[in-house]
Amino acid sequence: MRGVLGAFRELDATVSAIEALKASRIGEIRVFSPTPRHELEHAIDAGPSPVRRFTLIGGAVGATFGYWIAIWASDYWPLVVGGKAIASWVPYTVFGFEMMVLIGGLSTVVGLLINARVPRLSMMVGYDPRFSHGDYGIWVECPPEKAGAAEGLLREHGAVEVRRER
Amino acid sequence: MATLAKPIPADDEPRRPNIASADVQLPAVKDYEQVDREIIRTLHPTVAWFIGLGVAVFFLITGIAAWMYQIHQGLGVAGYNPPVMWGVYIITFVFWIGIGHAGTLISAILYLFRAGFRTTIYRCSEAMTVFAVMTAALFPILHLGRPWKFFWLIPYPNWRYLWPQFKSPLVWDVFAILTYFTISSTFLYIGLIPDIAVLRDRENISPIRKRIFSILALGWRNTDREWRHFARAYLFLAAFSTPLVLSVHSVVSFDFAMALTPGWHTTIFPPYFVAGAIFSGLGMVFTIIIPLRKWFGLRHYVTLNHLDAAAKLCLFTSLVVGCAYMSEWFIAWYSGNEVEKSFFANRIWGQWWWASAILYWCNMIIPLSLFWQRLRRSPGWLFFLSIFINIGMWFERFVIVVPSLSHEFSPWQWTSYRPTWVDYAILAGSFGWFSMWFLLFIKQLPVIAIAEVKEIIPPRLKRPHQHGIGPTGRHLDYEPDTPGEFA
Repeated sequence: MRGVLGAFRELDATVSAIEALKASRIGEIRVFSPTPRHELEHAIDAGPSPVRRFTLIGGAVGATFGYWIAIWASDYWPLVVGGKAIASWVPYTVFGFEMMVLIGGLSTVVGLLINARVPRLSMMVGYDPRFSHGDYGIWVECPPEKAGAAEGLLREHGAVEVRRER
Repeated sequence: MATLAKPIPADDEPRRPNIASADVQLPAVKDYEQVDREIIRTLHPTVAWFIGLGVAVFFLITGIAAWMYQIHQGLGVAGYNPPVMWGVYIITFVFWIGIGHAGTLISAILYLFRAGFRTTIYRCSEAMTVFAVMTAALFPILHLGRPWKFFWLIPYPNWRYLWPQFKSPLVWDVFAILTYFTISSTFLYIGLIPDIAVLRDRENISPIRKRIFSILALGWRNTDREWRHFARAYLFLAAFSTPLVLSVHSVVSFDFAMALTPGWHTTIFPPYFVAGAIFSGLGMVFTIIIPLRKWFGLRHYVTLNHLDAAAKLCLFTSLVVGCAYMSEWFIAWYSGNEVEKSFFANRIWGQWWWASAILYWCNMIIPLSLFWQRLRRSPGWLFFLSIFINIGMWFERFVIVVPSLSHEFSPWQWTSYRPTWVDYAILAGSFGWFSMWFLLFIKQLPVIAIAEVKEIIPPRLKRPHQHGIGPTGRHLDYEPDTPGEFA
């Protein structure tokens, strides 16, 4: 993975650099920020997150499992209480709901991990610890012949440090 | 036309300290570096912290010793007096489950409602939730005659070919509490990941701690991709946690409401329990956060505005709980049920008058003081009040459990109940267990969410009024869609 990393002190400088890099089509960009900022999200314009699908599928599976385990166990060992139904869906809604929340919640986390590509074993290339404290960063993945243009754009828009990495 | 609205102050007008506005919630916090510096500073252990931890461990050991004695001697040492077969353990179980509810309310429900005052207090509340549920989960096990068989409540294929009775509220409890604990812990951990990355990226950190934080941070790099999916996942977890808060204490209330016992068999129990749980949890939040903001020098993070807003919520839940108490009295009279009327008379004027008096004073009458803004903005009074709320809410559960069982349908069933030293020691041990975990937490991980506080700090700008960003970091031409941005 080759590219150029630029560090910025100001949010608006980062936003203008992102817009310039997207217009110039030098290469794929990755933006670092110490906190989620709507301005950056708007400039990157990455589209909706697919995590919602994991949540929906997990929730549906959980609700189904919750009802199923209660109904199946009641049917497997029938205990007639007061002449009432052996499989009673009203109290079993508790299990359906709880399992929907449990499996839906855990599926959401799995969706986050898969889509955000974490856990990550190596994070040295294209990262600087200052990005978790107060500075913003832009990583431009590009071949060496385009690195000069990327460096120029980053400096032009106010990068306080620009370096090539591989 | 005359108007009562105040004119919008000019941009160059000096701001009064500690007064929040729509776009500046923490006026004394200027930049991201200050946030890192001041919150990470709280992680250094002090002598007072070691003393506090020692006291917590002492109480925990006392509780463990009492439990060992109970296992050796049998449940008879716990003060049960048939038919009062639920006592301090079940009371304390409901108490701790209730404590956990304010944490999820603050971290999840207020997140969905974009309530700004949650930002600096939610981490503390979330940790409180997890440790409170860990504490509560011990009590049904302590209450078992053979605690080593507790796993029989969990449905799994076994050689006995037996499954739990899924129509029993006690089995509903197992599912509800395990789900609540898992989701609360997950919510806490997911929110912690960006902050753990901040701790990992510090310069002056020991190699061992750096290694541990590196593993816990999962290689988090603060990229746009990570934040995008993080925000969405956090939103969905909050959306799942919100009905979970309502369901868990409703399920706990079913433990009582599904029985025919006088005072228990009532449809008001689920909302009554949920409101009481949130009220008691807010009390514990005050008990924890007010000393912390003073000892850690975080009064400009957890400001008087935050305490004021939380106090209003506390007042509201107190009024809801008070309304539930009055509904109970009214229905006991209006129902015309002689057993119910006799039970309530015994609860209020009979043998348990003193417990009811503590409950009504602590939960209904003293919290009315929060109608005064001066008291809502007084940390000393809020702390003092929170102690009353904690006591009052423990007694609320005492009044629900003991008077009902000691005054059932027929006079020959009427009896009394007196906890023994084993009950008290295990109760104290539960506070030791909770405090130990909380004290360990606050010195290992940030007690205020670093990344979320940075969201409400105006970012550094080169040229104001560019790209829809005002001079204070306020969006000018479009609404944020990152939840909690301006909280």
